[in-house]
Amino acid sequence: MTLTTKLTGLLAGAVMALATAATAADWKPSGTLRLQIGFGAGGSTDTMGRVIAKVMKEQTGWNIIAENKTGGGGVAMFTGISKMPPKGNVIGMGVNMPIMINLVKRGDQLPFDLDSFDYLGTVAHAQLALVASADAPFDDIAGMVEYAKANDGLPIAFSAAPQKFLMSAVDKEAGAGFRYVSTKGGAENMKLILGGQVLAGFGSGEHLQYLESGDVKMIASANDSRHNYAPDTQTVREAGYDVYVDPYFFFATTAGTDPEALAALTKALSDAIASDEVAEVVKNATQTEALNLGPDTTKQMLVDGVENVRVLFAD
Amino acid sequence: MSVTADRGAGAVISLFGLVLYFGVIPNFVEAVDDGWVLPATIPNAVAIVLIVCGILLILKPTTHRPQRMIEFQKAALYFGLLAFGLLAMSYLGFTYTAPVIALVLMLLIGERRPLWLILGVAVLPATIWFLVVYVLDRALP
Amino acid sequence: MVDLATILAGFADAFTLWNLAFVLFGVVLGQFVGAVPGIGPVMAMAIAIPFTFGLDPLPAIAFLVGVNKGGLVGGAVPAVLMNTPGTPDAAATAMDGYPLARAGKPLKATKMALFSSVTGDTFSDIVLITVSAPLAILALRMGPVEIFALMIFAFSVLSGLIGNSLIKGIIAAALGLLCASIGSDPENYTPRLIFGYFELFDGLPLPSVAIGMLAISEILRRLSQIRGDMRGAIELHDTGNPDDRRVTWAEYWGCRFTMLRGAVIGTILGALPGIGSTAAAFMSYASAKTTSKEPETFGKGNLHGIAAAESANSAVVGSNLIPLLTLGIPGSVGAALIISAFMIHGIQPGPLLFQDQGRLIYGLFGAMIMANLLNLWVGQLGLRFWVKVVSAPESIIFASALLLCIVGVSMATGGIFGVAIMLIFAGLGYLMTSFGFSVVIFIIAFFLGPRFEISLSQSLALMNGDWSKLVNYPIALALLALSMVSLIWFLSRTQSDDLPPETSIEE
Repeated sequence: MTLTTKLTGLLAGAVMALATAATAADWKPSGTLRLQIGFGAGGSTDTMGRVIAKVMKEQTGWNIIAENKTGGGGVAMFTGISKMPPKGNVIGMGVNMPIMINLVKRGDQLPFDLDSFDYLGTVAHAQLALVASADAPFDDIAGMVEYAKANDGLPIAFSAAPQKFLMSAVDKEAGAGFRYVSTKGGAENMKLILGGQVLAGFGSGEHLQYLESGDVKMIASANDSRHNYAPDTQTVREAGYDVYVDPYFFFATTAGTDPEALAALTKALSDAIASDEVAEVVKNATQTEALNLGPDTTKQMLVDGVENVRVLFAD
Repeated sequence: MSVTADRGAGAVISLFGLVLYFGVIPNFVEAVDDGWVLPATIPNAVAIVLIVCGILLILKPTTHRPQRMIEFQKAALYFGLLAFGLLAMSYLGFTYTAPVIALVLMLLIGERRPLWLILGVAVLPATIWFLVVYVLDRALP
Repeated sequence: MVDLATILAGFADAFTLWNLAFVLFGVVLGQFVGAVPGIGPVMAMAIAIPFTFGLDPLPAIAFLVGVNKGGLVGGAVPAVLMNTPGTPDAAATAMDGYPLARAGKPLKATKMALFSSVTGDTFSDIVLITVSAPLAILALRMGPVEIFALMIFAFSVLSGLIGNSLIKGIIAAALGLLCASIGSDPENYTPRLIFGYFELFDGLPLPSVAIGMLAISEILRRLSQIRGDMRGAIELHDTGNPDDRRVTWAEYWGCRFTMLRGAVIGTILGALPGIGSTAAAFMSYASAKTTSKEPETFGKGNLHGIAAAESANSAVVGSNLIPLLTLGIPGSVGAALIISAFMIHGIQPGPLLFQDQGRLIYGLFGAMIMANLLNLWVGQLGLRFWVKVVSAPESIIFASALLLCIVGVSMATGGIFGVAIMLIFAGLGYLMTSFGFSVVIFIIAFFLGPRFEISLSQSLALMNGDWSKLVNYPIALALLALSMVSLIWFLSRTQSDDLPPETSIEE
């Protein structure tokens, strides 16, 4: 490679970048930009999504509305988005785990794959915890497995497919005899623990106030890393079972969207996520800091994630 | 056994239950190996109840009589209008189709007074448009 | 617990002009969107939430509570005046409200709805304010097995709604349950009966089914009966008797036991998340009907019918806040949105809430009391307005109702897909009514189906699939025994009335 070609390449790159930056500022959605949220009204995803839409609207002056499109943890919403014309007037906000699990389990039936979308970024990383009643006779996964073996199994409250897959994977190795009590959400898991109907269950934020009040204790982090508020509690993986979940809240739009539009959307979104208002809501809703991986890393995260899920949760 | 509305309905429902049990559920409900309530448990129970109750209804019908045919036809006409209107709306949008739907609907009902027609065709869609787009800040279909 | 000074400070926070203005605005907005077919208070709350970010927590939450409460009163308006309820719990109000309105007494009917709604709401608010903590502990003890038994009990009471044919009632319930199973299964989250439409993964959109079945199918029926003469959608007969336009004290007082029972049923079901206002309204209605000395007058404009339904469905909203504030568990979408408003302001409802935010919570209680009073006042004015509106010609009323339902469902479900489903269920509802299958029973089964299935699954998981372990659950056993008794009683009462005409069928 000669110097000239290198320089030309560099120059071209710079010009392109400049051009994108310039047009990104000019581009605006034709009509209303819809921020679709893959979860129901009132949850943490919904709360964050609505505030992001509001901040984006204030910062850009675009007409933006947030709407809920529930179903299969975002599968229904992304189905809709994958079928839309790529006009840059819709953004989907979902959580990666349900999407990845459905792609692995029934990819042939789904009308989309990872290439059906252009990715815009993430807003936060969720922390999923396995917790137990404060008076439960065990403190970690090993104790829990032992207790389950000695007591003819153990009911565990769960509210999403990844949680069940995770415990099934542990159960398959340990032969503990877990019984899965399906619920409609983390708050209901806590209710069953507090009511004494189950000893253990999953929480993604709902458990924190009960940790503080001393009604529950944390058994393990279901993520790949320990949680920031409980640095002494092991992950499931550290406890010797090679499984974990890593939920991210991410944004995507229909594949094939005009690069100018993509750049503008990405920028608008990252500006909004960088705002104090969104940071505060993210903190309130998930107990973690806002985290935007940016378009490329988000895509890579999903591609790697699907491979991971295939390995971790293989039947 | 005379043919009554209930006997007809019972036959249709039993048949539907059979199709559900043998055709639809095996094909559109996933089989899983473990669980307390399988995905197919409730749908299968419903299908069996429909088959049995449909047959019972044929054997023991009530005196219920549906309305006259002309009313069914009129209802079908309005249903068709709405269905067609929706189809049009999915291509052309609310702004263009709503006044037309309102006009046809009001004419079918028998409204001929120009003032009310104008209210339905112009003022009504405009009010909805204002309410949704400006006040509620949402998108119209 | 919270000390008196905090309680007083909280109430003092609430009763300011600024907060009053927000509650008033909320109540007016709630009554308006509740009364307009197809929109509803839930959507108004969802839209309003981001805008409450800039407010202090108390006015923000007071405003949302105002919308929620106003929506209860507003929701009865289309049900009573046009027989087109926008939500299934209002369908119970329509059963007697509409016949009364048709008999030329729309103001009496809507006012009865307003008074009993505010009565039930106030009752459950008082329960919430005074004894929410012990009630929450009681609610915690009601585990999945007990909830499952309670649902069986609810079904046994609801059997009182089955008309003259038990078989047709069961078929309607089965169809409702079938539609409820569309979406995904509760244990493995596999797609079920969605025929490749992943938009249905979360089940059929509730607004589409409710509005299609209850409102649009009724509009289709009314349209098909028009014979060319232009009339008002509702006709006001001036009988010259002012009592036909208002609810007298004697009439209100005569319904006190009906309203009390409704309020108690609503409060209990509201405190136990998951069952909801539809079951409460219909359970209250069914018990009012079957314990009445003249059950044959129900469905023909009996004030007790309106009182039973409205007191129960409004009581649910107040007591929904019991699990919400004490445990952070929302009992309905409206309650979930209030949690979301708390969350935006960095407040997590739960065990520490009363301790950390006692003043705010008592401020909220103060705002709720204000909202109830304002509801009564705004309602009195608003009802006259709505009765006037609905006495416009049928042509314009039905055209606007249809367009509003289309727009409302499209907003609530996010597109034309939901509207198409609404139309399909309108057709199904029309056919079911035509052939004498109860749409109401279908709707109840549809709304309770998912909770029924998940409760069954939870109970089996807890008992390890062994029903003989039920002996460990005395409350559940008692409820199941009660269900048997009430089932036999309700069926014997409803079936016996309707048997005689059977003789004339076969000619």
